[in-house]
Amino acid sequence: MERLRITVAIVISAILAAGVSSCSVQPCYEDTDPVMNTLLLTSGTGETATAESLNIRGVLPTDTIEFVNATSTSSFSVPLDPGSDQSLFYITLNDVSDTAVIFYTRHPHLVSPECGYTLTSRISGLKTTHNIIDTLIIENNNVNLNGEKNLHLFY
Amino acid sequence: MAKRTCIFFISLFLLAGGRAAAQDTVTIPLHIRAGFDLSGPVVKLINKELISYGILASMDMNSALSFDAGLRYSSFHGEQHNYDFSSRGTSIVAGVGYNFIKANTAQGKYYGGIGLRYGLSLYSEEASMIKYTNEWGAGETSLPLSHHAGHFLEITPGVRTELFPGVTIGWNLYMRLLISAGAGKDLKPVWMPGYGAATRGMTTGAEYYISISIPYKKIKVIIQPRTQESEGEEEGEGDNVNPSTEGSFSGSGIRF
Repeated sequence: MERLRITVAIVISAILAAGVSSCSVQPCYEDTDPVMNTLLLTSGTGETATAESLNIRGVLPTDTIEFVNATSTSSFSVPLDPGSDQSLFYITLNDVSDTAVIFYTRHPHLVSPECGYTLTSRISGLKTTHNIIDTLIIENNNVNLNGEKNLHLFY
Repeated sequence: MAKRTCIFFISLFLLAGGRAAAQDTVTIPLHIRAGFDLSGPVVKLINKELISYGILASMDMNSALSFDAGLRYSSFHGEQHNYDFSSRGTSIVAGVGYNFIKANTAQGKYYGGIGLRYGLSLYSEEASMIKYTNEWGAGETSLPLSHHAGHFLEITPGVRTELFPGVTIGWNLYMRLLISAGAGKDLKPVWMPGYGAATRGMTTGAEYYISISIPYKKIKVIIQPRTQESEGEEEGEGDNVNPSTEGSFSGSGIRF
């Protein structure tokens, strides 16, 4: 009798355990696109600046892609080209244009089994023209999914 | 004599509904068990991505404690729309199990308890295809084969019973806590052999074992004297391993 009770208990609990261990395919809800975050600052004072207009385009060999077209903004976020170790941007700030090149190394990063991999970047250097941009400095060279500020743009 | 005493005691216990008042000892066998995880072949049938075969051995140290050790081979290959991932490796777990069932009830045949084990996973991982896309466009890359060592803890509440003499069957839930995947924060494996999805700090599941059980020693366990309950109140019942027969395991049979 005792043995029967224990056996029944084991069978029932095994069925429950099977339910616990079952799994299902989950959709991807996580952010998978790392962006390079840049803060606009006033040259000399270092205070946060608000640009009246800002347009940023990414430059491909045969095309350009508009990433930002905003007014009254003090920061912007743009993705880096995951297919290359450098990204070229046309930055038009208050109707004055500059060109910036960002150099970086790319690293695969597993977001989750559901979302798969993304490519994060580590900024290794940059170049810019100085029509309106005074300086463009690297604050944090890790371009990942954490949303940290990466560059400070003084103008 | 001891067997008859044991039977008498258990009969008395069952008939009296737990109101026994006798003091006695029970002789229980300590076992060495070796078995394999039945869920591995079943998982293989329903989940084509995963092959996972495990064996587990345990050795009773006394009526309550056992030393457990297991070995598992896992191979995982998953194809998603944006990546292909493969990992394979061997994991080793070692730890102790504690049987909450009292010795006179368990009789060396039944187990209802919890185990705590440390796990080491030696594995390799590879992503042969990773597709990415953002506003710049789409592309493809890969992650070369790399070898790592991961570490985890495993908590395993479970039950086990003797199916027939010499063969036991049982199952346990497992809750695995990741200590380290050993591959850095960016390249945690989609599936770490022996652990599961290493992007999660905890994984859960169940294992079903069938084992061969070989008695290697008999010990006497004292059933503590129980005072006759008064006013319908039950006092706790415990049992201690008889020091004269338990040798180096003396005193370790104390139960909750």
